[in-house]
Amino acid sequence: MNMLSIKNFSKSYKNDKKAVENLNLEVMKGDIFGFIGHNGAGKTTTIRAIAGVLDFEEGEITIDNISIKKDPVSCKKRTAYIPDNPDLYEHLTGIGYLNFIGDIYEVNRSDRETLIKQYGDAFELTVNLGDTISSYSHGMKQKLAIIAALIHRPKLLVLDEPFVGLDPKAAHTLKTIMLQLCEEGSAIFFSTHVLEVAEKLCNKIAIIKNGKLISHGTTEEVKGNSSLEEVFMELIEEK
Amino acid sequence: MMKKVMRLVRVQLWAVLGEMLSIGTKRNKKPKAIYIGIGLFVLLMSAISFLYSYMIGSGLAMFDSLEVLPPMFMSITCIVLLITTIFKIKGTVFGFRDYDMVMSMPISTGGIVASRLIILYSINMLFVAMLMLPMTLAYGILARPSALFYVFSVIAILFLPLIPIVIASVIGTIIAYVASKFRRSNLLNIILTMGILSIFISMSFAIDDDGEKLVTMSRNLTSQVYSLYPLAKLYTMAVVDQDLFAFVLFIAISAIAFFLYTILIKMVFKKLNTAILTGKTRADFKMGRIKTGSPLKALYLKELKRYFASTIYVTNTAFGIVMLTLAAISLFFVDTQTLFGPEIPANLRSGIGPSIISFCVMMCCTTMSSISMEGKNLWILKSLPVEPRIIYLAKILVNLTILAPALIDAVILGIALKADFLVILLMVLIAAACSVFVSFYGLIINLLLPNFNWTNEAIVVKQSASSMVTVFSSIGIVIIQFTLMMLMPNILVAYLGYVTVLVVLDVCLYWVILHYGKRRFFELI
Repeated sequence: MNMLSIKNFSKSYKNDKKAVENLNLEVMKGDIFGFIGHNGAGKTTTIRAIAGVLDFEEGEITIDNISIKKDPVSCKKRTAYIPDNPDLYEHLTGIGYLNFIGDIYEVNRSDRETLIKQYGDAFELTVNLGDTISSYSHGMKQKLAIIAALIHRPKLLVLDEPFVGLDPKAAHTLKTIMLQLCEEGSAIFFSTHVLEVAEKLCNKIAIIKNGKLISHGTTEEVKGNSSLEEVFMELIEEK
Repeated sequence: MMKKVMRLVRVQLWAVLGEMLSIGTKRNKKPKAIYIGIGLFVLLMSAISFLYSYMIGSGLAMFDSLEVLPPMFMSITCIVLLITTIFKIKGTVFGFRDYDMVMSMPISTGGIVASRLIILYSINMLFVAMLMLPMTLAYGILARPSALFYVFSVIAILFLPLIPIVIASVIGTIIAYVASKFRRSNLLNIILTMGILSIFISMSFAIDDDGEKLVTMSRNLTSQVYSLYPLAKLYTMAVVDQDLFAFVLFIAISAIAFFLYTILIKMVFKKLNTAILTGKTRADFKMGRIKTGSPLKALYLKELKRYFASTIYVTNTAFGIVMLTLAAISLFFVDTQTLFGPEIPANLRSGIGPSIISFCVMMCCTTMSSISMEGKNLWILKSLPVEPRIIYLAKILVNLTILAPALIDAVILGIALKADFLVILLMVLIAAACSVFVSFYGLIINLLLPNFNWTNEAIVVKQSASSMVTVFSSIGIVIIQFTLMMLMPNILVAYLGYVTVLVVLDVCLYWVILHYGKRRFFELI
């Protein structure tokens, strides 16, 4: 079943240069979809548009068959988004932020308490939840953003470079949770520069270059008999 | 070395000025917009300062006391400088956002300290020049002193901000350092600031405009300042009497004090910045029962916490309501007939109440910077499954919460002014309608002129295009309202009309927020 659909999506900025051009993608339930490209290829632009953070004029993006342009609130209820640099409310405590997210997504008390405890312990952040976010390191903020994204059980997780700043144990925990969520029927769409992670974790991959999709399909289809790194290097060096 | 420092100053000063004018993202338009913006602002402030000093000077000259003008302006400048600099220290010299990046550059700590102090001095100098140069000109026209007066004045102005910067820095550093040691220090910080500002305002309330009293007051103020701040006396001797010894001494004391302060800061710069930038942690949290609430409540509480987490935000926006409360309570204990004079009719006296309320409420607008305050956190709001109107409502409710005492103040003020029941009722209605108006109006202006790329929240709150437009236009609205009121034959009808206009405007602005605000929310980046 289709969880995310991107049709003819294009986005230009004020200088008229197209950051993304005519992008078409589909993410199904249970997919872990890796979105790969060089710096400035259009990954973050696409991800921000899916999350409803960036306005766009051309194309259509639907989440669980609901248009993000027509009904952004319903789409966002089903989605969790983590940007590449999680700037959170520094004046709030960790628990204050999680509770804020819980209230916004209307997560009931018992689910909220259980999930905060479960993910807080998994990322070894529970003891720090009483401290203000301003005292957190980059990695701790990233962990908190991940926990906040998970406590409302999203159907679609949209992550921009989720492994940056995480220690090896937390990165492993995140990978385990990602697999578990997809087994339960959610879908994950994430960008990464760590090709080994994408190769091992994703069942589908898309490669974007200068705003255009140059390859996509199942991981096996995209990489064939080579490694993902070799394929990626070949594709981006081609004219 | 000096080249590197000046390069650093240039980059950071442009960043500060760019933020002030909310043009941080429009790189290609930056220099022109900055020049025009600064030019207009400096011109306007200088013109106001000139007119003000010329008027006061003329008044003083009538009582043969013109020589009081320069020290009076110098004292006021120093006091304002002192208060504003205390809150600039954190963010300029200590605890500034790009500390890590700047410290990793191949520039000595001394060089970095120098760059930060030059920035602090430059920002303050702009203000000092805007106030003191027009006063010098006004005094020159009125007193016709020798050419030496202008030479001494201009040189003295360059050294004038140094000592206030040193004193403010010491106080500001202590506050910032102590604050870094406590978890909930902001409230204490806010109360202290409000206390200090209230004292200054109460002192200015005590001045009335009776000519002879103004001179006595000015002289008293000057002599008090002389005893508290001996440098002011040196300044007077140097500028007014053109005493060369006093002039040299004034320059030398200012320069040496600043030099010693620079050395001291250089010694503690790294240590204090580390202490301030390293938050207080406990790492002892245990999961307990948590409270749940509606999305609106969550957004409202988040907004309220954001508000009280920033001393500069609170002191700049809640001051109107503190002033109103102080005025209401003070008038309760003062005989209004003595205060306004017997020649002012009773109905007009009670009619002043709504204008006081209007002015104080209009000066209390948190929404004019609440969108910009989201800064780098904007992505959170934009990715939440909440309608923009709920987000706006939370921001508006914070403003209305801060303004809630205005309703009680209106009743107290009404009783103090011996107004009849209908006028008191109108005053309460004006307080309510005005609160709603300023909350809506500030929000719309901020939606039109947002700035998310700030590095220092003081710039968003105090000097951004959005806050300047809101504050100045609000003052304009109050002036127009007061003038129209005075032209009306019946004060009661006039205020009834005012309430009606406000309510109609509130409805119109709400419509704008619902329609334009929704569209604008998606455009914000």
